Amino acid sequence: MRIVIAGAGSVGRYMAAQLAGNGHDVLLVDNDAKAASRARADETISVMFGDACELDTLVRAKVSEADVVAAVTGDDEDNLVVSLLAKQEFGVPRVVARVNNPNNEWMFNETWGVDVSVSTPHLLTALVEEAVSVGSFVRILTFEAGRTQLSEVTLADGSPAIGRQIAELNLPRETTVVAIVRDGHVVRPSPELALRVGDEVLILIGAGGEDEVKRALISAKGS
Amino acid sequence: MFGRKRDADRPDVEPQFVRIADAPPRCNTTVRGIVVGMRTQPGDGPVKLEITIEDPSGTAMVVWTGRRSIGGIGLGRRLLVHGVACPTARGAVFMNPAYTLLPAR
Repeated sequence: MRIVIAGAGSVGRYMAAQLAGNGHDVLLVDNDAKAASRARADETISVMFGDACELDTLVRAKVSEADVVAAVTGDDEDNLVVSLLAKQEFGVPRVVARVNNPNNEWMFNETWGVDVSVSTPHLLTALVEEAVSVGSFVRILTFEAGRTQLSEVTLADGSPAIGRQIAELNLPRETTVVAIVRDGHVVRPSPELALRVGDEVLILIGAGGEDEVKRALISAKGS
Repeated sequence: MFGRKRDADRPDVEPQFVRIADAPPRCNTTVRGIVVGMRTQPGDGPVKLEITIEDPSGTAMVVWTGRRSIGGIGLGRRLLVHGVACPTARGAVFMNPAYTLLPAR
């Protein structure tokens, strides 16, 4: 795949190296000469010096042929401008943007051309919550502008799901159990698998399914 | 960018356009169609106006963000849409394109 990454900071450089290592055609764009030259030190990455918020730079970067654009600068305004231009002027099929300040996260949606946004503070919060909470519902990631989410519930004693098979949970349509983590091992969620206390249930939930999932997995008393 | 608009239809200039089905993906292009569908999202959702345009070859979707209505654009309106056709699962989508309102025939 052809991937254009805006922002040659530590995040952009790491992504570029990883993706290039996986055989993708990666171009890194940054308007900071120092950052660009640091990135050039890695010979596997192509680097372009220029402002990714300018149309001319994106034309030079051949964004019109890119399969993915990732806007990962440390500046939310820049990431939004890059995302909008990529989507609106070049019809990039997948635009991924980094959210630096969680207060800006509400803007990272289709209005600004963003298909997927990743907010490090949000992710950290979710992971911390996930580590400390048993029996409560933790949203780990959202996709498609918030319509689909990957969530996690660690089953507490008293959960209505204990002892029941996955097929018996009556989960809503457009919802699928992705995996069960049991005693540190990933278990494939076959419909006959009976759930136990302490199981971490990873579940992909479509629009509007969250309440039903909570009813199926979490005791009414709450946690 | 936002709100760019070409001159209203000038009869002396024959506009160049392609059939919707022939619109090259991810290139600047102009198509002509009739508005056959309009959709907007009430409440707190992303503010946008989505319309469907149709010509004899097919349909395409046009999305303008940040607004719920555009003066002159309504069902049955003929218009030219100048922008980049982005191929999606729902067919070709033009995002924030320029447009020219055409008189009814």
